[in-house]
Amino acid sequence: MTRFPDGLDISGPVQAEVFVVWLNTDHLELTGPCGAAPWLIELGETEHPLAAVERVVRDVVGPPLLLHSTSWRRDRASVILSFVAVIEAGLVDGMESAPIDRTELARSSATAAPVTIDYRQVVEHGLRHMAWLAHDDRVVAETLPDDWRTVLAAYVPEPFRHLD
Amino acid sequence: MNEADDQRRLRARCACGWETVGDVEATVAATIDHGQRVHNMTATRDDVLASAEWLEAVEKGGPA
Repeated sequence: MTRFPDGLDISGPVQAEVFVVWLNTDHLELTGPCGAAPWLIELGETEHPLAAVERVVRDVVGPPLLLHSTSWRRDRASVILSFVAVIEAGLVDGMESAPIDRTELARSSATAAPVTIDYRQVVEHGLRHMAWLAHDDRVVAETLPDDWRTVLAAYVPEPFRHLD
Repeated sequence: MNEADDQRRLRARCACGWETVGDVEATVAATIDHGQRVHNMTATRDDVLASAEWLEAVEKGGPA
């Protein structure tokens, strides 16, 4: 993930990190207005985080099929809420996109957070969470197309969790 | 802003990699719009100017 520390950046005590994911034929890809990378969104004091993220994703990319908060952690002097936004292929529309590779999760010790957490590990956990929802949540199961559920079957289901 | 600034080109960059180049008014407006629309961020003109760079200064290697 390339970020430019000399550029204008978001701040605030709570931030959203959105992973825009789509199914390219038989594999998942990461995309978004900031490229194939985490998309950071500032969250205000009053708007519900899910509503704020849904609004921004809809305005910038288009209406997501599914939007779920999948984990949280402490980073960037903020609390970061991670979201997976599932979009249809037609919304990618020229945005940079890259296949999502599998990776090991960032695991905590019994009482301490992982030393480092790479965004790819957050994506991995987010997709495991979606795989869990595809089995556990009727709305997710009914909303995800069959080919999506086929791809998610390769992910070990995991519930929402704290990564830091 | 003085008259000389009207003639200079400004480059502003977002931490996400998005950038824009233009005269100061266009650059400030585009950057504020990008921040609001894409990142739900309320940036001010001063915020933009503090992180932007004047291209002439960059090209000459001098201070912005």
